This record gives sequence, structure tokens and C-alpha cells, in this order.
Amino acid sequence: MNRLKAIADGQTFESVIHQEVLDCEPVVSIRDFSLYYHRKQALYNITMPVVKGMVTALVGPSGCGKSTLLRSVNRMNDLIESVRIEGDMVLNGESIFAPSVDVIGLRKRMGMVFQKPNPFPMSIFENVVYPLRIDGERDKTILMQVCEQSLRGAALWEEVKDRLKESGLSLSGGQQQRLCIARAIASDPEVLLLDEPCSALDPIATGKIEDLIDRLRGEYSILIVTHNMQQASRISDHTAFMYLGRLVEMAETSTIFTRPRLSETEDYVTGRFG
Amino acid sequence: MVWLSGGMFAIACLMILSLLAFVLWQGLWTLWPRTYSIYGRKDGTLVGGELYARASLDGKNTLYLRTGNYDVSNQHFAYVASSDLVGQTPWLAEDLWLVERKEWGNLYGFPKQLSWAQAAPEDFVRLVDQGMRETAKIDRELADAKNELKRIDHQIADARLGIRRVELAEKVDLQGAAETGLVEGLSPSARRAISNFVLRNGQADETMVELNDRIARIEAHRAERTVVFELPVIDPLGTISADWPELQAGRLTDPTELAELLGAIPNPSGLALSVQAMVQDSPSADSPSVDSLGDQRLMCSVTIPGEASRRLMLRRLEDGRTSVGAFREHSILLADMVRFFPTNRLGILQRLGVYASRWWEFLSGDPREAGMEGGFFPAIWGTVVMTIVMSLAVMPFGVLAALYMREYAKSGWLLSVIRISINNLAGVPSIVYGVFGLSFFCYIVGGYIDGGPIKAGFEPWPSAAWFSALGVLAIVGLIAFAVSIFSGQAEAKRSGMRTVLRWSAGLLWLLTLGLIVWLLIRSPHFHGFYEAQLPNPTFGKGCLLWAALTLSLLTLPVVIVATEEALSAVPNSLREGSYACGAGKWQTIHRIVLPYARPGIITGFILAMARGAGEVAPMMLVGAIPLATELPLDTEFPFLHGSRSFMHLGFQIYSLGFQSQNSEAAKPMVFTATLLLLSIVTILNQTAIWLRASLRKRFQTSQF
Ligand SMILES: Nc1ncnc2c1ncn2[C@@H]1O[C@H](COP(=O)(O)OP(=O)(O)OP(=O)(O)O)[C@@H](O)[C@H]1O
Ligand SMILES: [Mg+2]
Repeated sequence: MNRLKAIADGQTFESVIHQEVLDCEPVVSIRDFSLYYHRKQALYNITMPVVKGMVTALVGPSGCGKSTLLRSVNRMNDLIESVRIEGDMVLNGESIFAPSVDVIGLRKRMGMVFQKPNPFPMSIFENVVYPLRIDGERDKTILMQVCEQSLRGAALWEEVKDRLKESGLSLSGGQQQRLCIARAIASDPEVLLLDEPCSALDPIATGKIEDLIDRLRGEYSILIVTHNMQQASRISDHTAFMYLGRLVEMAETSTIFTRPRLSETEDYVTGRFG
Repeated sequence: MVWLSGGMFAIACLMILSLLAFVLWQGLWTLWPRTYSIYGRKDGTLVGGELYARASLDGKNTLYLRTGNYDVSNQHFAYVASSDLVGQTPWLAEDLWLVERKEWGNLYGFPKQLSWAQAAPEDFVRLVDQGMRETAKIDRELADAKNELKRIDHQIADARLGIRRVELAEKVDLQGAAETGLVEGLSPSARRAISNFVLRNGQADETMVELNDRIARIEAHRAERTVVFELPVIDPLGTISADWPELQAGRLTDPTELAELLGAIPNPSGLALSVQAMVQDSPSADSPSVDSLGDQRLMCSVTIPGEASRRLMLRRLEDGRTSVGAFREHSILLADMVRFFPTNRLGILQRLGVYASRWWEFLSGDPREAGMEGGFFPAIWGTVVMTIVMSLAVMPFGVLAALYMREYAKSGWLLSVIRISINNLAGVPSIVYGVFGLSFFCYIVGGYIDGGPIKAGFEPWPSAAWFSALGVLAIVGLIAFAVSIFSGQAEAKRSGMRTVLRWSAGLLWLLTLGLIVWLLIRSPHFHGFYEAQLPNPTFGKGCLLWAALTLSLLTLPVVIVATEEALSAVPNSLREGSYACGAGKWQTIHRIVLPYARPGIITGFILAMARGAGEVAPMMLVGAIPLATELPLDTEFPFLHGSRSFMHLGFQIYSLGFQSQNSEAAKPMVFTATLLLLSIVTILNQTAIWLRASLRKRFQTSQF
């Protein structure tokens, strides 16, 4: 507990990253990354990898900057005027924040799913192929192929294959969230960013999404924010624990949940704190 | 408290409902064909009319009658005190016709004679019907001939304009040459213009003689056919001494006396009476003419051998003699008749038929008698065309402005100030816009288009100064261009530098724009597009274009506010979702934001249209006129005539109700027009509401 207190007092702090994580090949590596909302600092010198082909979970108490970190990966924070950053991230060897980076092209290499399902007010089909549409793809057969592939990938195909023309808004909440996942994987992204994708869903829908994430493992590299410790332990390979804008400890999920190096992490994941 | 608020609510409802009911009642009732009631006055005369209302005036029961027959009685409406009448139950004469005319309003009378056919009264309906159809054909010919004449006039005016243009261009006087046709020593263009004029004039002279002949023939033909009516207006002829009961029975014991009154009649013994009953609160059915005063009347027609029969009113006087009065004869042109029907004899279905045909005329016909009768089509058309042009002008402006403010502009104090100003603009009284439209659009812009800077009230510069200013403009424009390109490429990190560059680029562009305007209004080389027509203004007066632009200014705040609201109602999560898919700003706007905001935008648009269609005050200043001969949109090239004045429904209500020389007579029409305007505005508003609801449903999520 004293370390967390030290963080709260603003003392500098070394993150603990287990060697097993550093040994894996990263798809994104975050390097000494800090972020300010206007004057207020939200992230402090975060350095951590997101491992290729695996699921990395971000956990931590509310307001610790998980979403901020996630949104920084595909530079969604650019949309907020007052944001200023220091440090950098690297996606498969290319810098994300270098001035010459084409932000739009960058975002096309990642898929993002939000806390609340946000299907567009158009048909299911158009929802899924939206990333291709904005690239100007018109070939019906390609679009159809991608649509089916993505919907199958999101385990939604069987449920909607007969109603592709219907509005995406006519689906249930869980279906909508899977539709958003289908949309996110339609452009075959290198990383999938999920920000609490299940927090607005009931247990059955949550279960389906968890199964889906499980199936996507290996094919996609996934960074997921979650508040649910069971969920993190069920679906993730690595877990990072954040506190007040700092990365506290990162290790393989089983390590974090059974024998973390820091007692504070143990307190948090067992629910004794936060 | 609940009582107070509930009471206020009830009062508000009541006021709105009674307003609606009043307009609805008046508007719908006006065109209904009513019966024509004839009452006997105590002074021996008759008064007739369609009963519009019963009122209490100075404590006396009064009837409000639409009397018609304006050319005879000089009034359209009359108040008649019940106490002046001999009886309260009117005589609903069966064979009385209501004739709607092109001039003088309705005529109510008994048809007596047709000038073009000897016929029994039973055949009148058929014959007049047939006659009217024939006249309609002739009228079309007449209209064609007149149009032809107008076309030739236009051609000559064009040719004359051609000469005037050459005069202006070459600074010569060609009046003399145009009159004599001598073109020696003139420039080729002047020769061309003059020979064109001479040619046209020559052609026109021939055709015009022929046309005028034709028109005169047609007019003469029209004047030949007349219908004689006997109006329920009694001219006293004198008295006779006849036995009243005998008269009542229809027997004329001594016809000579009556024959004398009627004028020289060769064979008085042939006179015969046929008596009609005039119901006057009759105490018993078989003595129909007795009234409470002892004053007794008979309506009868007297058959005169060798002549058409005449209608008389016989009245028994106190001294036992009988006064004879004749129904006044009045003859009208068949060509003047628009519609006729025996108004007191109509069944409910026929009445409905007349009602429908009147509505049809109201909606699709041209106005008669300065708009007091006939159709409102030009006014409806003018309103519709003006509203459409207005929407076309306001829509792109409003939506783009709102889009910029909501999606592109950085929020800050400047934006807030602008937003507040726009909101305030919506509250500016509309007459202010009218004044602005008149002084800016009509006089300055219109004057500039017509006759260049001088006509718009600006002193042009000398040529040299103007050209050096043009050079300055080019330089400033180039600098502005360079700066804006440079600011686009400036390094993102040095944001302070970038802001300065942006601002200076914006200011430079503004300066360029100002310079362009300045140069335009000071140009010594521009003399307007319609200089030849001067001093007659083309665009330098109220007209459709300026009215539409003025109204689009007036409705701009409505559109901007509605669009902004619609845009801000688009959930941010949708925008983020789109950006996360790698969409650009414009892609997000046009694929996600605009479709989602569309219902709101359309709603604002329709509300703006409804506001614009109902607006009268600015219309009075910038282009609406009480009677326009030409439509603003017609089949004549170039179809949409922006420089024409037009009729407008709202303005029509105002001018008919308050400006016409006989507003009493126009009152019914005012109500009908009000009803129409109200329905148009209501329909537009209703469409907006319905559209909003139905589209909103489409976007509602069925979440959870
Ligand atoms: N747009 C913003 N402007 C200013 N401050 C912000 C903004 N977004 C987030 N913050 C601040 O940054 C910090 C981190 O927020 P963030 O949303 O990343 O937390 P989080 O870990 O995702 O929390 P939660 O678990 O509740 O979602 C918070 O203190 C928050 O107040
Ligand atoms: Mg969050």
C-alpha cells in the first residue's frame, strides 16, 4: 500500500514488468509515454509492450487512465484539442506519433470497439463494410465476401445472414457489440483495441463476446480494458495493472493473479482494494 | 395554483380554438351558394339578398344582406332593420338566377329575354349554357389575338431597345434615322438596328391592322349577345283602381288602366295576369299576400300579347287603390357571365356542385374585379414560387454555415458571439428585413445590375485610379493565396506560429473580398446590363428575386439553428466510431453525421418555408403587388422571371382587406384566402412534425 501512496504523493516510480512479457514479440510498444489534458497529466511515462497474437488486459481503478492509454494507441486523442503528449509508441517498428505519420492510414491498421455499442444508422451490411466503403471499395463481391468473413469472425453470421439489409440498430445490445467487433476486424487490423466491450451487456452476451475474443486470439493482437477481474483472468494472456496514470505491474495473467511481485497488485486483483 | 394554471390553460386553448373555428367557418362558408331572400319593406319597396348574418344594431334586430346588383343599387351589402320589414319570412323566388359576372359582382334577377333567340323561359338555362360555351370559344380567340398583339408590341420594343443600345454604345442620336429609315453615314451596327426596327415596324403595321380588325369583329360579336334580367328592384309606375280580390284571383277586370301604365299597348284586352305568392308571414295558406299591417302585395307577371311578359308588384293601398310597380329591367352581356344557377331551387347535391366549382375557380382561376372575386391562382402560384426560390437560396447557406460552426470551427468566444447574434437575428421584426431588402437589394444591387455604379448611387473612379486599384487587388490576392498555402504546410508543433499564419491568411482573404466589392462598385467601365431599358427599372425595383433573397435572410437563423441542433444531436460515439474506422472528417460528416441529422435539417427547412410563406410585411416592400398580369414562373422563356413582381397570398389578404376601395365586398374573399394561407402553413408545419417523428423512429435503437 505504501507504493500506491507514494504514487499518489507524486513520487517517481519504477514499473515492474516481468521478463516473460519482455521476451515476447510486441506488436505495439509504448515507450516512455506521457499524456496531458490541458495542464492535467493523465499518463506518466508509461513503457509497456502489447504482445503480438495475444490478449493483453489493462486493469486498474476507475480514472487511472486505461481508456486514455488505449485511445492513444490509434491517436483518437488527437480529436481532443487540449491533449499534449510526450514519448512515443511503435506499431510493428513504425512510430505512431512521428509528425509525418498519416493518422488516417494509421487508424485503418487498427480496429477499435467502444464501451457502448455504436453501430451506425445504416444496414448491417453497410455497417460491416464501412471501413472498405471509405476506402472507395465498390466491388459487390469483395464487399460481400468481407462482410461474411467479418461477421463469421465476430460469431454473428448465423444470426443475421438473412437480414443483412436491416438496420444495424434493430439488433440486440450484444449483437450490436459483436457487429461493432465485425466492423473493427473488417479491415484486417494489426491490433484490436477494446474498451470495456462487455460493460453494457448482460452475462450471456458477455459470455459470447468472451468466447469470441478467445477465438480471435492468435489471429489478432488484442488490447482490452476491463474492470472485471474474472474476465481478465479468463480471457487474457497478459495483464497490466495501472494506477493514477502509472503502470504498476505487468506480467502473464496467471502470474498477476496468483503470485504478483507487488503486494499492491495482489490487493487490487483480489478485491481488497479499489 | 392548479386552478390558476388550469384556468390559464383553458383560456389559451379557448382563444386558439375560437380563432381557428372563426377562420374555418368564415372561410368555408363564403363560397357556399346561399339562397336569395326577398323581403318587403314598409315603404313599398323590396330588398333582397343572401342572408349573411343577423345582428343587433342600436338595439334593433338587423339583417345583414349581401344584396348584389352593384351596378344598380351601388352597394354590395346592406343592413336592414327587421322593424322596417312588413314580414319576417322571406320570399324565396324559385325562378331567380344568381349570375356571377366578370364585372360588378353578382347579379340576382329573373331572366326575361335572350337577344339571340326567341325562347320560352323553360329553355333559358339550356340556351344560356350553350351560349356561354360559344362565348368561351370566342373569348379564347380574343385572348389569342390580344396575345399576338402583345407579342408584336414586344418585338417592336425589342427593336427599339436595340437602337437604344447602339445609341448608348456609340454615343449617337438615332431618333431621326429611326423615323425616316435613312441610314447613310451610320455605323454597321446602327444600320442593322435601324433596319431591323423598320422591318419589324412594317410587318407589325400590317398584322396589327388585321389583328385589330379581328379583335373589333370579335368584340362586336360579343356585344351582340345580351340577356335581359328583371331585378328585384321596384320602380313605381302608378296606381290603378282594380278590385283586389279579383286581382288576387288573377283576373283583370279593366285592363286599360294597367295598359296605360305599362306604356302604349295596342291590344290591352289581351293582358293577362298570373299571380305568384310572396310569402309574408301569411296567416293562412290561401291568402298568401296578407300581412299584419293590412298592406297587401301580389307578385305577378303580366302577359302582353306579342311581347315578353313583365313582372309586376301590386300593392293594395289604404285608400283602396292598387299601386303598380315594375321590376327593373337590366341587360347584361352574355360574355360577362361566368356562372349562373337558380340559387333558390338548387338541391343539396347541386349546391355542392356549385360549391366545388367555386373552390376550383378560387384555387385555379384568375382574379376578377381587382381580386375581390374569382380565383387566387396567381397569388398561390406567386407564393409557392417565391417560397421555393427562397428555400433554394437559404438551404445551402444555412446548412453549410451550421456545418462549419458545429463541425469545423473551434469553439471560443468568437463562435459564441456569432451564435448569439444569429439567435437574436431570428427575433428581428420582419419589416426590418423588408426595409433592408428594399434599400440594399432593390436599390443598390438591383440598381447596379440595371445601370451600373451610378444607378446604385456610387461615384465611379477615374479609369487610371481604378486600374491601379485593380493591380493592388491582384497583389493582395496573391499574398493571401501564398500565406494560406504556407500556413497549411507549417509544422504542426509550432502551433503559435500556425495560428498567426491562419489568422493573417483569413484577414488577407477578407481584404481581397472587400477590395473586389470596392472595385465593383467604383468601376467606371460598367454601365449595367439593362441600361437600354432605363429609366424603367428591371431589377432595380421590388421583384421575385429580391423578395426571395430578403426572405431567405429572414429564415436563415431558423435554418442555422435547426441544423446546428440536429448536428449536435448526433451522438459523439458515432463520430468516434467512424474516425476509429479510419474515416476522414468529411467522410464522417457526409456518411454518418449528415444522414443522421437529416430529419432535423429537413424539419428546420420546412419550418423556414412555413415562416417564409406566411410573412407579409417585408413582401409589401420588396415585390408583392395586388394585381400582376404575368406569373413569375410560366411557359415563356426563360420560364423563371426573377425581375417580375408577383402576387402573394398574405399580401393579398392585406391589400384586399384594407386597401381595396370596397373592403366590405372583399371581406368574404379575405377569409377564404386566410383559410388557404393558414392551411398551407399548417400543412407545412404538420409535414415537418410528421417527418421528424417518422425519421426519428428509424434511428431509434432497439437496445436491450
Ligand atoms: N477529455 C478529457 N479532458 C480532460 N480530462 C480527461 C478527459 N478524458 C479523461 N480525462 C481524465 O483523465 C483521467 C483518465 O481518464 P480515463 O478515461 O482514461 O480513465 P479510465 O481508466 O478509462 O476510467 P474508467 O475505468 O472509469 O473508464 C481521468 O482523471 C479523467 O478525468
Ligand atoms: Mg474508461
